[in-house]
Amino acid sequence: MKWNKGLMTGAAAVAAACMALSGCGGASSSGGASGGSSAGGKVEITYIHRLPDKSGMTSVEQIVSRWNKEHPDIHVKAIHFNGNASDLIKKLETDVKAGNAPDLAQAGYSEIPELFTKGILEDVTSEAEQYKGDFAEGPFDNMSIGGKTFGLPQDTGPLVYYYNKTEFDKLGIAVPKTQGELIASAKKAAAQGKYIMSFQADEAGNMLTGLAGASRPWYTVEGDAWKVDTQTAGSKAVAKVYQQLLDDKSATTNPRWDPSFDASLQKGELIGTIGAAWEAPLLMDSMADKGKGDWRVAQIGDWFDNGEKTGPDGGSGVVALKGIKHKAEAMQFLDWFNTQIDDLTSQGLVVAATTGTAKTPASWSEFYGGQDVMAEFAAANANLAGFSYIPGFSAVGTAMKEKAADVAEGKAKTGSIFDAAQTASVDTLKDYGLSVAQ
Amino acid sequence: MSLIDTTRAKFRNPMRAQKKADRMRERMENDLPRSMRPKPIAKILTVIILVVALIYFLFPIYWAIVASTKSPAQLTGSNGLWFAVPLNELPDAIAANYATLLGWTRDSFWRWVGNSLLYSGLSAVIGTVVSVMAGYATAKFRFRGKGVTIGVIMAAMLMPAALLTIPQYAIFNSLHLDNTMLAVIIPCCVSPFGFFLGRVYAQSSVPNELLEAARIDGAGEARIFFTIVLRLLAPAMVTIFLFMFVATWNNFLLPLMMLSSEDLYPVTLGLYGMVSLAVFNDRGALMMGALLGVLPVIILFLTLQRFWRAGLAAGSVKG
Amino acid sequence: MATVISSATPTKPGVLVRATEGETGATKGKRTKGRLSPAARREERTGWLFMLPFVLLFLLVFIVPILYAVYSSFFQQVATGGGAYGGGEIVNRFVGLENFKYVITSGTFWAGMGRVLLYTLIQVPIMIISALALAMLLDSLIVKHVAGFRLGYFLPYAIPGVIASIIWVYLYNGQISPIVKGLAALGINVDFFASNVVLASMVNITTWTFTGYNMLIFLSALQAIPHELYEAARIDGANGWQVATKIKLPNVRGAALLAMLLSIVGTIQLFNEPQVMQTADPAISSSYTPMMMAFNTSRGFLTPKGDGPANAIAIVMAIIAGLLAMIYAFAERKVNES
Repeated sequence: MKWNKGLMTGAAAVAAACMALSGCGGASSSGGASGGSSAGGKVEITYIHRLPDKSGMTSVEQIVSRWNKEHPDIHVKAIHFNGNASDLIKKLETDVKAGNAPDLAQAGYSEIPELFTKGILEDVTSEAEQYKGDFAEGPFDNMSIGGKTFGLPQDTGPLVYYYNKTEFDKLGIAVPKTQGELIASAKKAAAQGKYIMSFQADEAGNMLTGLAGASRPWYTVEGDAWKVDTQTAGSKAVAKVYQQLLDDKSATTNPRWDPSFDASLQKGELIGTIGAAWEAPLLMDSMADKGKGDWRVAQIGDWFDNGEKTGPDGGSGVVALKGIKHKAEAMQFLDWFNTQIDDLTSQGLVVAATTGTAKTPASWSEFYGGQDVMAEFAAANANLAGFSYIPGFSAVGTAMKEKAADVAEGKAKTGSIFDAAQTASVDTLKDYGLSVAQ
Repeated sequence: MSLIDTTRAKFRNPMRAQKKADRMRERMENDLPRSMRPKPIAKILTVIILVVALIYFLFPIYWAIVASTKSPAQLTGSNGLWFAVPLNELPDAIAANYATLLGWTRDSFWRWVGNSLLYSGLSAVIGTVVSVMAGYATAKFRFRGKGVTIGVIMAAMLMPAALLTIPQYAIFNSLHLDNTMLAVIIPCCVSPFGFFLGRVYAQSSVPNELLEAARIDGAGEARIFFTIVLRLLAPAMVTIFLFMFVATWNNFLLPLMMLSSEDLYPVTLGLYGMVSLAVFNDRGALMMGALLGVLPVIILFLTLQRFWRAGLAAGSVKG
Repeated sequence: MATVISSATPTKPGVLVRATEGETGATKGKRTKGRLSPAARREERTGWLFMLPFVLLFLLVFIVPILYAVYSSFFQQVATGGGAYGGGEIVNRFVGLENFKYVITSGTFWAGMGRVLLYTLIQVPIMIISALALAMLLDSLIVKHVAGFRLGYFLPYAIPGVIASIIWVYLYNGQISPIVKGLAALGINVDFFASNVVLASMVNITTWTFTGYNMLIFLSALQAIPHELYEAARIDGANGWQVATKIKLPNVRGAALLAMLLSIVGTIQLFNEPQVMQTADPAISSSYTPMMMAFNTSRGFLTPKGDGPANAIAIVMAIIAGLLAMIYAFAERKVNES
């Protein structure tokens, strides 16, 4: 046959190139094949995270290299993930299936049940148990499911109240103590074109859940079935207060991560807002030095029928992924890493570790009028209500966010956000084939 | 007259035809009969419309250039139409944003651009060769099942490609090829549109007599293809190459589904990763990334301009 | 005038899919029924060998995924082992037509489909007509520097859809955009993200990106019109308007109709623009377009989640897109016949 060799060699070359490319892809895929002790009994651990690592912070790289210097036998490789939380989850799922996942990965408390259901977590109960005393109880519990522990907690996200004290004083108002005071003060401020509350549609899934959850958890397990009640007294109070504020036009409706939110702060229109503790440095960024020294942090008052309690918004831990080789060494490193309080604080985290007191970074106290912000956060942490999430909570968050966007445009009432949460919660559990008690 | 016939006619010698047409037009302009010459008012109106359209198409690019020199505060606080700093301070502002960009991307920016070039270049080269081979086969050979094959491929041209991405991901995942370079390159090398163009070009610019003569001389089919046919189809291949290159460069959903390692990201996905972070606010630096990221495509377009314009005339079809 | 009209035969894009065979083949030997001559057999083998690389890739990239999509659309992913959290493993469960029932009865899906159809109905004609208008104006020899205009109009096409969307999202933003600020200074307050405007904002992004590209195709088609036609028109004493409508339009008709068909197929899968705009506007839901719904279903942001329901959405979309393409082709043939 004359047809031939040329083509065949060509095909072979293409096949070889293919192999090279896929091989190259596999090898360079961050994470790589996890661990395996090499010659000298040295252990290698890979850890993927999405901490901010911005300039001025102690970078994860720096913290880890300190560990590596002190522990020549346990070498840790830190990988930064560029992208949002859900993209990281997607990556972890893929990597575990392909068998080249990192050993340790950052995961939000709300994501951990879903990761378990999907079967990508590794039980490290016996290795992690000894470090229990180093962390606050609530966050530690968030790392376990059905009595098994899957990692160690890193930070918490108690909701607090940020406000511009100078502006408050000018208006003659103080941080409201009760629901009635809140609504009245908001009205008074709005009359002057100032706002002491913000309704953030894009954060509805996290923030409203936290505020409502402070009174009573939404999700409980009875026997082997889920009991879902997103219409608690707390939820009703949150819906009522925000609806009142929206009706009075005394809260802003700019989405949290839109430049319009930053603008409302810079122009001095928004002078008070509920936010998670980890937002402290982000708000400083948003304001770009405007109002420096005027802002303060306070506890949320009894605004949502939840007494002195506050709820969680965000917060995450580090989990062990299926296929992890050296559980004991990994937990040893993790306990060390998660208790590097000063370094983690510089990353804007309110740590879950209780081994020491977090010091307020200088730039923060400068911005927040010399206040010991970290102490305020610690107080909020102590008031944090326990809240556990269901597998598939991301779908609940999506449903709430979308309803909240309608609310912000005046097309729906705030109560419908919690109705949407109920429907989505029950649906997502059923779709997973998990039982739901009626 | 079918579309294929017309395109074939147009394509016989695209570059020469184009030049000839241009020359003819220039001549005609001078000796148009009075009745066909535009009235002054029509002339002014035309110029206005064309200039307004030009502003519309170029303004966002101009704005992006200006924005790429600004800090977040300058972006909201300064005049959006002009630089926020005096011209002599511009290099510093650019350097600052460039540093921010590299900071956000953890120095991966140029790697991402390199990945994009690699994905687009490789898939376009492979895709062009296989398209032309298949197009040549259907244009010049008789074999059973040809009609059905052509029908299926043409039907695939009307299939919204994005829909295939989800099952493609499942297939590549089960082959353990997801999150590799191949996961982007392989799907991008198959283009029914490329096949269509390859077929049209092969029909129009490969004379049967030449093939006959080569066969009589005893040349093998592979040799005929690689030494004679490919040479005849060279300008056509540049067009197919560019179409496929741009299609891969612009593809977003596929790498979004397939890739999870930052090291493998193309530049579109890398920049999207920055925007999708809620806390991201260095929008000026992002604009710089966007501009630097499209530079290679623009350069490619400009340098190969005469080829693809000729090809467009022949294809007269959207990719 | 008569000569002009008759010689400008409109092209029929409908013929595109029909294989018009021009090959002579490597052998002249006629094919006898049933058995092939050795020469014909050789030709057949050579033909298939040339086809092989493309066909193999095509099978891997198109056919296998389509078959897999159909197969997996009958399954849902559920947790094993019972218990509140399941047993830590996900398995596929056969659910019959459950996923399709979900898609067909989903108000969200049809709302998204409606949005996309509305979008197509607005965007495609605007883009094709403006591209055609610009091409004809550039072809009218009225302006100099045609190359400059041509390049300027075409430049947006070199910018990937995602990046174009990011740029426009900023140009829509009230805090950043000189356009919004400028209009506000004139007393015109526009909110490009308002729920009744946002679709138009997306239309603008797509139009900005692709008009120049289509314009270039039309311009090329116009410039390929044989000179003799103009010559004939001149002899017949036709005016500029007549030349435009009787010669130019019929000659780009084929290209325009085909561009329209492919644009319709393209807009059905609308994804990049809304996906990027969502990062700036929470009011754009995760199921704003069917393609976003499919993506977010496979990512688990919507429930039911996973590949099964996602593929069911994709299949229903493909069927609708196919039907639309057929209706379009049919309508166009009818118009041509009449």
